[in-house]
Amino acid sequence: MNLRRKKLWMTVTLAVLAAAVILIPAPALAANPIERFVMVEASQYAFTPATLHANPGDTVTIELHSADVAHGIYVEGYGVSAEAQPGQPVAFTFVVTESGVFRLRCSITCGALHPFMLGRLTVGPNWTLARAAALAGLAVLAAPLAVRRETA
Amino acid sequence: MKQETLARLVVLALAGVASIPLISGPHTPLLHARLAEEGGWTPDVLHAEAGEPFALRLTSDDVLHGFGVGHTDIEPVLVAPGTVTDVTLTFDQPGTYTYYCTVWCGLNHWRMRGIIVVEGETPSTAPPEPPLYVQLAIDIDAPHPADVTPAVRPDAANAPDAAVEFSFEQYAATSPAQLFAEFSRQPGLKDLTDAQRWNLVAALWAGQTSPAALVEGEAIFRQECAACHGQLGGGDGLYAEALAEAGEAAMDELAGTHDMMIQAPPDWQDPAVLLGASPALLHGKMLRGGMGTGMPMWGALYTDAQLWNVVAYLYTFQLNSP
Repeated sequence: MNLRRKKLWMTVTLAVLAAAVILIPAPALAANPIERFVMVEASQYAFTPATLHANPGDTVTIELHSADVAHGIYVEGYGVSAEAQPGQPVAFTFVVTESGVFRLRCSITCGALHPFMLGRLTVGPNWTLARAAALAGLAVLAAPLAVRRETA
Repeated sequence: MKQETLARLVVLALAGVASIPLISGPHTPLLHARLAEEGGWTPDVLHAEAGEPFALRLTSDDVLHGFGVGHTDIEPVLVAPGTVTDVTLTFDQPGTYTYYCTVWCGLNHWRMRGIIVVEGETPSTAPPEPPLYVQLAIDIDAPHPADVTPAVRPDAANAPDAAVEFSFEQYAATSPAQLFAEFSRQPGLKDLTDAQRWNLVAALWAGQTSPAALVEGEAIFRQECAACHGQLGGGDGLYAEALAEAGEAAMDELAGTHDMMIQAPPDWQDPAVLLGASPALLHGKMLRGGMGTGMPMWGALYTDAQLWNVVAYLYTFQLNSP
């Protein structure tokens, strides 16, 4: 009886913790917005660097250089893009507002593997990863509960 | 038996209906764009009538290409895979027009060309004038190093006041280094310092063009030339090495028949290279292309006036223009 109540309490506690991990809004980090300038080189079929990082509020300028044929860069979620031909770099500026991970795509059909020419823009800390790690930790804590129930 | 006759008639009728679009009237040609390595434009010769609207459908079989027509003010359009772009062109004058790819689609992008033969009444039969480099008997393949180079970058804004007659013909036929050498012998200009004489040369060069012309020249340079010649004319563009490698491989295959080497683009950041070239020589090189390199023939795409603007822009790599 006592054991079962204890188990119930632990289960409820873990469930509440898990809900908290999932639902509590991410704290806003008070970082001063800065201007970021990134030179991105596009070649068949990759962006270099492939991952860009910024914090919410930052003004990001991307200068796109093509290293072989005409390429473009399109930032998913922000809907901004630019296209560069070899020898003619282009730059564009936008303000990042939404945090999260956004995909970069080539916006010009540049060759057979064009659909796989991708990059990433990460804005702000990766809360999804942090939450997933916390949930994984809770799952590890919950594991003995399940095991004991079966052996009991 | 009767049924069989009926069946034969039905089949014949169906075949007849199906063939109507094949024989009725002219249909709009569909132009396929492919990488030059895969065959370029198909078809690469089109026929049109002067003064008549000429409809054309464009599609790409691989990557994004562009369609532009030289010597006309037709706006280039993009040719994307999976879609068909409709264009209607009108040619006022009969002649042969070159269409070309306007998007850097690959190493051999500049080989993607085709022609439109426009038929019609030719108003005048005056033979075209030979280009200036031919008239001046300039060997555009000969080396042309400058004998003298300025110690500091010449600046047209600091030119001394000197009344010097300088016509377009003189400009076209003389390299800046030659003009400098000439000034060094002229009585009125002999006493100036070297820097002053170079500044005078820069001012005379600037006097042969205008800021608007330089802007147009720069735009063409960036679009067409920078990929091989480099954004600052250093001969270090992205494709310079790749073209040299590709050319070398081709030369190896031809070993024995052609004893020649692929040349890299010249370094115009070196005053000895650029200041030894006369405008007519540079104009001729653009017009004709070749030189055992990947240099395309621009005469088919750009008018003389446009090429002169590019020539004027090239000199700004060495001479400051106000």
